[in-house]
Amino acid sequence: MTTRERVPGRATARARIATAAPAARRTWRQVRARVVSQRESGASFRWLELELPAGFVAPVAGQFVQLLLEFPSPVLLPRPMSVASARRVRGKLRVGFLYAAVGAGTRALSELPPGASVSVTGPLGRGYPLSEPGTPVLIAGGRGVAPLLMAADELARSRRRCEFVFGARTGALLIGVSEARTRLSRGGSRLHLATDDGSRGFEGDVVGLLTKLAPKLERPLVIHACGPHGMLAAVARWAMANGARAHLAMESVMACGTGVCRGCPLPRSGEARQRVLAEGAAAAALKGNPEWAMCCTDGPVFESRELDWERVE
Amino acid sequence: MSYAAPKRAALAPERIDLSVRVGSLTLRNPILTASGTFGYGDEYAHVIDLATIGGVVTKTVTVKPRAGNAPQRVAETASGMLNSIGLENVGLERFRDEKLPRLKQLEATVIASIGGETPEELETLLRALGREPGVGAFEVNFSCPNVAAGGARYWADADRLERTLARLKPLTDKPLIAKLSPDVTDIRDTARACERGGADALTAVNTFVAMSIDLDGMTSRLGRATGGLSGPAIKPMALARCWEAAGAVKIPVLGSGGIASGRDALEFIAAGATAVQVGTATFVEPEASTRVLAEMRAWLAANGIARVTDLIGAFRAEPAQEATTAAARNGGQP
Repeated sequence: MTTRERVPGRATARARIATAAPAARRTWRQVRARVVSQRESGASFRWLELELPAGFVAPVAGQFVQLLLEFPSPVLLPRPMSVASARRVRGKLRVGFLYAAVGAGTRALSELPPGASVSVTGPLGRGYPLSEPGTPVLIAGGRGVAPLLMAADELARSRRRCEFVFGARTGALLIGVSEARTRLSRGGSRLHLATDDGSRGFEGDVVGLLTKLAPKLERPLVIHACGPHGMLAAVARWAMANGARAHLAMESVMACGTGVCRGCPLPRSGEARQRVLAEGAAAAALKGNPEWAMCCTDGPVFESRELDWERVE
Repeated sequence: MSYAAPKRAALAPERIDLSVRVGSLTLRNPILTASGTFGYGDEYAHVIDLATIGGVVTKTVTVKPRAGNAPQRVAETASGMLNSIGLENVGLERFRDEKLPRLKQLEATVIASIGGETPEELETLLRALGREPGVGAFEVNFSCPNVAAGGARYWADADRLERTLARLKPLTDKPLIAKLSPDVTDIRDTARACERGGADALTAVNTFVAMSIDLDGMTSRLGRATGGLSGPAIKPMALARCWEAAGAVKIPVLGSGGIASGRDALEFIAAGATAVQVGTATFVEPEASTRVLAEMRAWLAANGIARVTDLIGAFRAEPAQEATTAAARNGGQP
């Protein structure tokens, strides 16, 4: 139910989601969640809040869920959707999502009133390793802002400052910029904007802005990013060239989201391939494919050296 | 078959005998997970008690590990999905040393799916696994639509199927189940060939060869031009193939293709299937197989059918054919 569904009803669901903490024991569940609210968030984006029942493990930034409409759904498969916020309200877990109603599934989702129920499977995948030491630099490209809003929340809760770099084609497409500003208002974190057309903030892309900012920041830098794969490849290359760590939330068409269908491969780097081969039989249950990492269970967050950026589509 | 005749008194669901036999293997109930949709079982063990379903058909294992196909590997279509996974799997060694012990620990009835590009590869697999105590039966994947060699087209040759099964049969004391492709001129031919070769059962059917084009790029929505179609979209077609296959052989047939409810499963059983496999539905709902089982049990109980085996093949074609004839007499109006 993410935003790159190109043909209505023939949705190419892409997970906007996220090498991170080691694969934990499986804790995901499929539950019925209740719509708390939906509101417009500009440029046809919507902010959806769901209330999850007890027993659903709270997601961390960079993780995703599989969202499925109740019968009769216009689409068959659940849609991977990155979590944009998670908080407790009167003891109940509330999870927020930022999405665009562009396909049949997301349009139907956008019509759900408060109180309606949807099926949620999660939390899935590995999130950002936010505790990694260094100056956190969060980099969002367009609608890729969702998991970074949550990362900003988590950093604020642990009283850590961050630099939040947010880029889009135009100022109008800086969706969620007010949410970002709210989250950064405490504790001296800073928001840096970039637009391709210069209509807001720095004129150019996020890597251009990062290059400008980096000399002023305390090293080492730890980048957490999400956005179009082209942007993530550029960020990954910048990080590798500049001695920074970068954790990049990737997306993929998915079916199961849980590692069984093997449907969401991303090309491993030569270094990662060698490591998987060396691990051999000792590798975790779902690993061991030296060629392809699975976006859903190996990711969706990958460190820049894990993937072959020349072959990422 | 009298089940459809005067309505019987409902029974308590727990009194229904759901056990079925596939060759020498007794399944506690007829609900299996389809190969490739349930990993190696462990992935779902925290949400499903594997000991409660009839069995787990594992991801097809090949002699050497396979990396699988380049992306994209999945695409949704109307009421279905295309896949082009390409038999990604951990290979024989890790399957035997890591996956099988774990499945045994989970008390699952294991039907190990094996695949090969040649009859010799299948022989190698059965020499290694054929006497494994952790395996209840083997399903031979003669029908993967997504590999360059040794796929559905290669195995669509009835003589090859018969010869290969005859070579495999002596290598194991466990039932051999031949999984058939629907993409053949007449599935009764491949079904009978497998029976002659010594198969103990059949699975009908694997995915249908299918495709989807992205007009923007004029490219396939998969990494390869075609993939295999699964999900509710194929259920009526799979049911027809299952019925045809079951009518052509004496060995049990496992029905597969778009099963997502107890009623779906029962349709396959009525069409002649001894057991069924739940596949794509698991991607939508991880606990689909246990729900299908519960729904099946409830329907049998409500209809007073004490043993699921009483329903196997309960459907007879004659009434439908009569209806068709009547419709023709009425100028095509049903």
